[in-house]
Amino acid sequence: MENTKILTINWGKINPLKIGDYLAVGGYLALKKFVSEMKPDEAIEEIVASKLSGRGGAGYATGEKLKMVAESESHEKYFICNLDESEPGTYKDRMIADNNPQLLLEGIIIAALSIGAHKAYIYINGNYEKQKETLETARAQAHKKNFLGAGILGSAYDLDVEIFSGAGAYICGEETALINSIEGKRGEPRLRPPFPTEAGLFGKPTAVNNAETIANIPWIILNGGKKYAKIGASCSPGMKLYILGGSVKKPGVVEAPTGVTIRELVDDFGGGVTPGRDFWFAQIGGASGRLVLEKELDMPLTFSRDCQIPLGSGSILVVDKMANISDLILSWTEFFRRESCGKCVPCREGTFRLHEIALRLQDGEISERDKVAIKDILWTLESTTFCPLGRFAATAMRDAVEKLNLLDK
Amino acid sequence: MTIEKILLGFSPKAENILPALKKVNAGFGYIDEEKAEKIAAYFSVPISQLYETATFYDLINTKKQPALTIKVCFSTHCALKDAKKIIVEIENVLHVKLGDENNPKFRLGKMSCVGRCGEGPVVMVNNKVYERVTVVMVRGMLEEYL
Repeated sequence: MENTKILTINWGKINPLKIGDYLAVGGYLALKKFVSEMKPDEAIEEIVASKLSGRGGAGYATGEKLKMVAESESHEKYFICNLDESEPGTYKDRMIADNNPQLLLEGIIIAALSIGAHKAYIYINGNYEKQKETLETARAQAHKKNFLGAGILGSAYDLDVEIFSGAGAYICGEETALINSIEGKRGEPRLRPPFPTEAGLFGKPTAVNNAETIANIPWIILNGGKKYAKIGASCSPGMKLYILGGSVKKPGVVEAPTGVTIRELVDDFGGGVTPGRDFWFAQIGGASGRLVLEKELDMPLTFSRDCQIPLGSGSILVVDKMANISDLILSWTEFFRRESCGKCVPCREGTFRLHEIALRLQDGEISERDKVAIKDILWTLESTTFCPLGRFAATAMRDAVEKLNLLDK
Repeated sequence: MTIEKILLGFSPKAENILPALKKVNAGFGYIDEEKAEKIAAYFSVPISQLYETATFYDLINTKKQPALTIKVCFSTHCALKDAKKIIVEIENVLHVKLGDENNPKFRLGKMSCVGRCGEGPVVMVNNKVYERVTVVMVRGMLEEYL
């Protein structure tokens, strides 16, 4: 089971611009099975049984989400593939689009049809122009083969897939902000409830799923949900893409089961820490991720709520002792200050003030007053912001204060 | 290409607002009040809503841009890989200050992650992405544009 590869198995082996290559390695067999042998609710049951959870970071049960939309009585529904990936240090979804766009499309088609949608959107990061072209080519080829469009593979299923390009906003990875963005509005998050599964795009039930999540679906349909549920950690099973970066010998995207430890990822997959450097800490899940010290490296990474270190986007940044921590702090705070959408005061002001303190820290002038203020600001960001972005902005800084004793210098 | 011609390429539905803004921005470099009004009228939305959208996104400009815009990624991976030294070198080569919006010729700023972390440090010059940039490379990279 350890050698199962679901997402990356054909990377580098097939030409992403040729659908024939994908078909030759068993591509679209899952869609054929879905169309000819399964009812939509049977497909959803397989996904529920697989215990697949959202790979964008939140880890919500994918099957449950699809079920909610499928069971809604509205005859207009939407399926959205979230490819807005903009968490610093994260480029796994881009790699999926680069290396195997048809796998993603197949997953989108199956998921969209299973919930009863006739229209699916791929919301792609505005900076991913090349990937948008790759996906457009893939879509045109899939259309020609009748995997898309009207009467898919001779059935009564219809589906159009539209590729919608973002315009540079981190917050649009949040599903309600993403929906606002497609509707031509500011990419600000909406108050929930109603959840998108009840009232999403244009007020209709909408399932928004991360690209990596969707890329697992063809395998689940072909091999069964139960088999998938046996891979990796039992609380949130499956394969996951991890992005190794920073002071690691072999940086890049690797596929490993959930439940893998950070040490295994760094040592076995990444070849260990860069020679000549000493491990200091790792940041898990991008700029919004937690910091992990040496003694915590054997903790398994899962999407479970009990997991102390949230897996997030799957990015693993290894920081060595020669790194300039004030640069990293400036990077975090500046990022969230720039990307805070401005809708709620605690986040808009909190990220701004935290960045100001980071600038003073760069100059080495952090005062006693700042030390008190940091704690206030972190509490405010963690407890009072409208959407999770505020909490994200506080996570790494909180760990820098508590684990790296930032304020004791 | 006139703005009217660009707009006629889109059916006047809400989901086409952002694509239209991006296309007008690409054609004219930025969206001024006059263009914003035309786009708002075309999509039958209030100018306030249209302008709210236009000002929100990084990839849409509402002010005239200088001939040369340089953005250096300063998100986690690039920040740990010499992004700061590269910024200083660009400042020295072009005689600009980071974040100075009054320079009519050049603009130097930082940007958020563009998902090329494996190939950092990343610098974007007028929308062209340069990967694995080093301090030594900076002058040659910019000379193409001067």
